[in-house]
Amino acid sequence: MHTSAIHVNGLTKVYHVPERQAGLLAAMRSLVQRKVREVHAVENVSFSLAPGEIVGFLGPNGAGKTTTLKMLSGLLFPSGGEVSVLGHVPSRREAAYLKQITLVMGNRNQLQWDLPALDSFELQRAIYRIPTDQFQTTRDEFIEMMEVGDLVRKPVRNLSLGERMKMEIIGALLHRPQVLFLDEPTLGLDVTMQRRIRSFVADYNRRHGATVMLTSHYMADVEALCRRVIVIHHGKVLYDGALSGLVDRFAAYRQLGITLAEPADLGEYGEVVSAEGSKVVLRVPRAEASRITARLLANYALTDLTIEEPPIDDVIAQVFATEADQPAMSG
Amino acid sequence: MGMFRLMYHFFRIGAMNELQYRVNFWIQLLQSGVALAVGLISLALVFSHTTDLAGWSQTELLVVMGVHIMMGGLIGAVIQPNMLRLMEDIREGTLDFALTKPEDAQIMVSVREIRLWRLVDVILGAILLGTALVLLGDAIGPLQAAGFVVATIFGALMIYSFWIMLTSVAFWVVRVDEMLNLFEGIYAAGRWPVGIYPGWLRGLLTFLVPIAFAVTVPAEALTGRLSGATLGLAALLAIGLLGLSRLVWRIGLRQYGGASA
Repeated sequence: MHTSAIHVNGLTKVYHVPERQAGLLAAMRSLVQRKVREVHAVENVSFSLAPGEIVGFLGPNGAGKTTTLKMLSGLLFPSGGEVSVLGHVPSRREAAYLKQITLVMGNRNQLQWDLPALDSFELQRAIYRIPTDQFQTTRDEFIEMMEVGDLVRKPVRNLSLGERMKMEIIGALLHRPQVLFLDEPTLGLDVTMQRRIRSFVADYNRRHGATVMLTSHYMADVEALCRRVIVIHHGKVLYDGALSGLVDRFAAYRQLGITLAEPADLGEYGEVVSAEGSKVVLRVPRAEASRITARLLANYALTDLTIEEPPIDDVIAQVFATEADQPAMSG
Repeated sequence: MGMFRLMYHFFRIGAMNELQYRVNFWIQLLQSGVALAVGLISLALVFSHTTDLAGWSQTELLVVMGVHIMMGGLIGAVIQPNMLRLMEDIREGTLDFALTKPEDAQIMVSVREIRLWRLVDVILGAILLGTALVLLGDAIGPLQAAGFVVATIFGALMIYSFWIMLTSVAFWVVRVDEMLNLFEGIYAAGRWPVGIYPGWLRGLLTFLVPIAFAVTVPAEALTGRLSGATLGLAALLAIGLLGLSRLVWRIGLRQYGGASA
């Protein structure tokens, strides 16, 4: 157990949400009689992360990702189960623990809006009591890695969304945390910015051996960074294992890219995704992919043929479409 | 000591923020000037009918007014903005960043904000206080000066404790901004020594909203009225309220984290 950086066992979080019908009368009735509904945001979740591991934490909105991250970072008290991060119980919020973690939320910012990011970095230095020389080395290293250069001298309000996020991440990592909780760090950013942030996280992980838990709606983030994913839906773990295993298990179909010598209608072989002249993309059930390929090769003159896994986004959508009350699977 | 270090750094950041809006300085100066003029005029009006108010002379009441303006400036510069930010953070759920820092959460939320220009009132109040003391002509001994400083610290601590408890209510009741206006109304009553008010109001201003200890008692120290018993009571109440506020804050924080759910 002590070999894992993050250990979660039977973690549960129940919210008590006041419930009432719409309308003024119902609002008045709720003054005297409050109906409370129990919402199981996270239910009996268990997993372990080895030190230095980067794990993608996937799930649709409301799946319980943020709630789990908040329990791991000590913001929320679990309703049940055990959490241990770096040997600490997060909800005790010990300074020794908080110094070793960071939480980045793509939709929130903690930098001083009207001041250059450098001033906010200085404040982080004071809060985390980072020794001056270590602070300067880390700061300059990060500024170079993120390629932000002189932008750190511009007031944060004048930066673009992507530039601001880069600064947020630099500020959040100045104390060189051992565990990173990244909640949608690339939210709303363009592809170039996403890529830069991704490679920064990968570099940081390599250089400092930090453990990373990442949630993202951009599968490119997950594909680039995480070999392992934990998929959560309705508060329960649906899948925990290799990203490639997820595709194997849940991809129900494959895509055939076909270039015909002469245009033809291939509708009888599978679902035609697109057909432009002699180029056809065909979606076929996974199990029948090789049989259909053989039939196509026998019946048509093909100039090109590719067999592709479906995009990971589609696979994930497929996972969420399956019932949540299936037992957790591992791959 | 960690607290003062943190305060210094946030003060620095806050000052840099505020220095960008220099116009606010002039607005504040104007506002403070008008408030001072109104205060002086009403004082002169009252004393055109009488020569003493519950045992306080006109010049002695200038001392009270000076302390009132100073303390108001301190509350407006440091306590109120932090508590407003805290209310907002609780409502919007943005308290998270403050809570993931390796510092005491209560200290963090109490020092994050500063309204630099409200310190104009502290300076203005000090000038008024100094003038009043010169007019009084009595030399202020070291004991009286020390009594004033100690009483002011106790008073400020009590007001802070009151505020943090009030703000912690936001953990349960989401909207508490209106209480701010209520406090400002009640604080205005502190311009006069609490002795002039009827018993029930005096009790309210002493023990419920501790304005008596924040304004009247320090003024008493400078006008030779302060007894050791009052100062002792102030010390006891300051420590008691501070302890209570810490308890309320902690329970509130557990509520935020859903510990009671």
